Amino acid sequence: MNEILSIQGLSKSYKSVKAIRKLNLQILEGQAYGILGPNGSGKTTTLSIVTGIIRQDEGSFSWFGEPPEAGQRRFIGSLIETPHFYPYLNLEKNLRIICDIKGMDYRDIHRVLQTAKLFERRKSKFSTLSLGMKQRLGIAAALLGDPRVLVLDEPTNGLDPEGIAEVREVVLEQVKQGKTLILASHILSEVEKICNHVAILKKGELLANGPVKELLAEDEIIELSCNNNESLRKKLENSGLVKEIETENGVLVLTLNEKITPSEINAFAFDQKLVIHHLLSRKRSLESQFLELVKEE
Amino acid sequence: MIRRLLHIEQIKLLNYNPFRITLGIYFLAFALGLLIYPAIDKEIPVISLSDLFRFPDVWLFLTWITEPYNILLAMVIIMITTKEFSNHTFKTQLIFGLSRTELLLQKLMLIVVLALFATLLLGATSLTLGLIYSYKITFKIAMDNTYILLRYFLSSFTYMSMGLLVALLIKNTAMSLLTFLALRTFVDPVLFLILRKYEVKWYLPMRTTTQLTPVPNVIEIFEKKMNSPDSINESALEFVPEGLPDWLNILMVLLYTSLAIWASYRLMQRRRFV
Repeated sequence: MNEILSIQGLSKSYKSVKAIRKLNLQILEGQAYGILGPNGSGKTTTLSIVTGIIRQDEGSFSWFGEPPEAGQRRFIGSLIETPHFYPYLNLEKNLRIICDIKGMDYRDIHRVLQTAKLFERRKSKFSTLSLGMKQRLGIAAALLGDPRVLVLDEPTNGLDPEGIAEVREVVLEQVKQGKTLILASHILSEVEKICNHVAILKKGELLANGPVKELLAEDEIIELSCNNNESLRKKLENSGLVKEIETENGVLVLTLNEKITPSEINAFAFDQKLVIHHLLSRKRSLESQFLELVKEE
Repeated sequence: MIRRLLHIEQIKLLNYNPFRITLGIYFLAFALGLLIYPAIDKEIPVISLSDLFRFPDVWLFLTWITEPYNILLAMVIIMITTKEFSNHTFKTQLIFGLSRTELLLQKLMLIVVLALFATLLLGATSLTLGLIYSYKITFKIAMDNTYILLRYFLSSFTYMSMGLLVALLIKNTAMSLLTFLALRTFVDPVLFLILRKYEVKWYLPMRTTTQLTPVPNVIEIFEKKMNSPDSINESALEFVPEGLPDWLNILMVLLYTSLAIWASYRLMQRRRFV
């Protein structure tokens, strides 16, 4: 898979506050990548740096495997924090400016306004829109020109429940079409519903990253090893206790079936006369980390 | 690329009410030149103001009269630039793919277009008045002194570049406008007075800019006219001889303009557009 965005050792401070510290991330083509973290964890700072709004203190990043350059952003549809447009211009003229910046013709404007359910308001001034409508216009602008990458920072901010559902649908549709999505959010369920990969940030540091199903899934994942891993693997595969078994660095990684606890696995192994000497619940630790994150909000 | 940047500015400007109003005032000011000055003429006996509207003196006279109108253009630049800060639209343009250099280029090109526009308007007005009031028109007489239009263009460009620098430095619309107006109408003249004994007074930025289109020696033309009423074919107006030598003055203006653009560039590269 092609690399879309790669971040190496990125750091940024605002006066004495360290917004992000030595952040590393790699996002591949077709991934729906969630950046999850409470307010002030550095999500917006990270996205602001990669979209060229602010400069990093240290570290580097690359888009499409190349050093950052303004022209690349024409292939990226971004919405960072609240969208800002010219208040005295109507929606169509505002989007024309974006089209001119991206170097494309105006044909796409009606389509994105329809997608954002703002077509009827296309002749209204931006300043007359409600907060939710402004947010939807921001998403419409990000969709202009059908970019291969979408960078959305809290896209459902300020929307009513219906609006949230609509935006999710629009974003999911983009993911289905194979677009790469980078989504920052402080809402666990949002990331779970839309993304397949996730990075968890806290106070500017990367706590964990990986596939959503591994990090945030309901399934319990444990790693274990015993005196005869291969034999245990075969026996477990037919036991009906586990969904999946993989071998990573000489330890077995099990995805447990619902309502199966690690102690049942231990008992099972003991019955098979295999002695487990390493047993670790992966999900537990991440879950507790995440609870910690949520608690601070 | 350049057309695209200009088109973006066009959408922003033509729909922006303060710009329309300022432009309206600007046109009105030129119309006043066409209508009011000749009207005043009837009120003053002996001296005829219409002597000032004859080729080739009309170029110098109108250039001097309309030089302060450039302040209006600089105010437009200040408004449109500071609005980009308060509306956070510099940020939007960055996100969607303009570079910081292009953001500056956009404004500089707008300045060139407005300066051209102002110069053409001055040229057209002078030409019209000249054609109306001259007794005898030959191509040579009519085109004499038109070099002043180049100076006017430079003056207009300089005013707006300084406006741009003030806007990028201060970011707030009202404060920027106040600062610029204070510099032009108060700080520079007061410094000039304080430094009146020293040669350095001629090097003040605003002073060198106004010296581009200096005060014509109006008295002289009337004297000349009284002495020999027929000598209207050659340029009677001359600049009041003061200040720096011409070449040095132009050089100083170019230096100040370059400095303003360089500083604007540095500011644009460093500003946080959040």
